Amino acid sequence: MEADDLSLVSRARAGDSDAFRALVVRYQRKVYALALGIVKDPDLAWDVAQEAFVRVHGSLRGFEGKAAFSTWLFRIATHLAIDSVRRERTSRKDDVDEVNEAHVAEAGEGILSTPLGNDPRENALRRELAGKIQEALETLPEKHRTILVLREVEGLSYEELAERLGIHKGTVMSRLFHARKKMQAALREYAGDLVPAREGEDQGSAGGGEEVEP
Amino acid sequence: MRECVRFAPMIGARVGELTPGEAKALAAHLAECKGCRATLAAFEATDGLVAESLLARANSRDFGPFVDEVMARVSGGREASPAARGGILAWLGGHRRAAAAALAPLVAALAVLVYVRVGTGPREIALLEIDAEGEAVTVLQTVDGPVVLLSPGAGS
Repeated sequence: MEADDLSLVSRARAGDSDAFRALVVRYQRKVYALALGIVKDPDLAWDVAQEAFVRVHGSLRGFEGKAAFSTWLFRIATHLAIDSVRRERTSRKDDVDEVNEAHVAEAGEGILSTPLGNDPRENALRRELAGKIQEALETLPEKHRTILVLREVEGLSYEELAERLGIHKGTVMSRLFHARKKMQAALREYAGDLVPAREGEDQGSAGGGEEVEP
Repeated sequence: MRECVRFAPMIGARVGELTPGEAKALAAHLAECKGCRATLAAFEATDGLVAESLLARANSRDFGPFVDEVMARVSGGREASPAARGGILAWLGGHRRAAAAALAPLVAALAVLVYVRVGTGPREIALLEIDAEGEAVTVLQTVDGPVVLLSPGAGS
C-alpha cells in the first residue's frame, strides 16, 4: 500500500530521502505537464519542475499541512513557470481580460461543438484533436495559457484560480473565457480539415450535432 | 448581445462556482440564446483536452534521470560525490605533468618542514640538576655533549 502524502512529507522532513524521492516520483510528471503548459519549452519545463521540487524540499519544515502537499507543490511550480516566462515575455496588447460584444460574436462562430458531437470523450475526432492541442496552446498569451492549464491540469475552481493568480474571481471568469475562445480559434482550422471526412462518414445517420449559429 | 456579454464569462462554470442567482439567470439566458448554447457546447467539447495532451507528452518522456537529478540537488551533491571523485582521478590520470607541477610546491614545502623539525630536535637543551656530595651541579645536555655547570662555590 502506498504511503499518503502527509506521511511521506513527515518522513522526508525527518531526513528520510527515500520518502522525498517517493514524492518526486509521484508528482514529477504532473508538475512537468503543468510547467510545460505554461512555459512551452520542454527543457525549460524540466528545469522548472525540478526547481519546484528543490524549493519544496528546502521548505519542508515550513509546510504546515493546511493545504494538500500537491496544492503546495503545484503553487510553487506555477509561480516558477510564470516567472520564467515573464522574464522573456514582451507585453502584448491582446492580453485583455474584459469581454465585449466582438469577443462574444467570435466565440459563437464555427466552433467545435458540431464536429465533436455530443459525447466528446468518446469521440475519435477529439482524440485526433488532442495531438494538436499543444500547438494551439502555444499560440495563446502566457496568462491565457496559464489559466487554462491550471483549470484543466490541476482542476482549480474559480476561487482557487483567483487565489493562485492573485486576481478577482470576475477576472478569472473573463480570462478563462478568452483563453477558451482562443483555443477554439486555434483549433478551428484543424477541426475544419477533419470535419468534411467525418460528415461524409456520418451521412445517412440522424442527428449530426447541434447547429452552430453563423 | 448585451446579455451575452454579461453571461459569456459564466459559460463553462462548474457546479457550485456560480451563485444560485447567477446559475439561474445563466440557465434562463441559455434557454433563449442559440449563440451562447453553441459556445457552451464548444467549450464542453474541448474540456479536458489540454490536460490530456500535456499529460500524454509528460508520459511519453523518459523521466528516469529526473528524480536522481532532484535528489542530487537536495542532498547538496552528496549523492553525486562518487562520480565527482572518479572525475578528479580521471583528470589526474590524463594530466600527469600538470598534476606533478601542481603537487611539486606542496611536496617541497612538506620536505622543508620535516627537515626543520628533525634538525631542531637534537639542539634542544635538556637541563638536569644532580646533587653530588652535597654540591648542586647542573648538567646541560647539548648536541655537543653534556656540559657541567658548576655552582659559584663549587670550584673554590
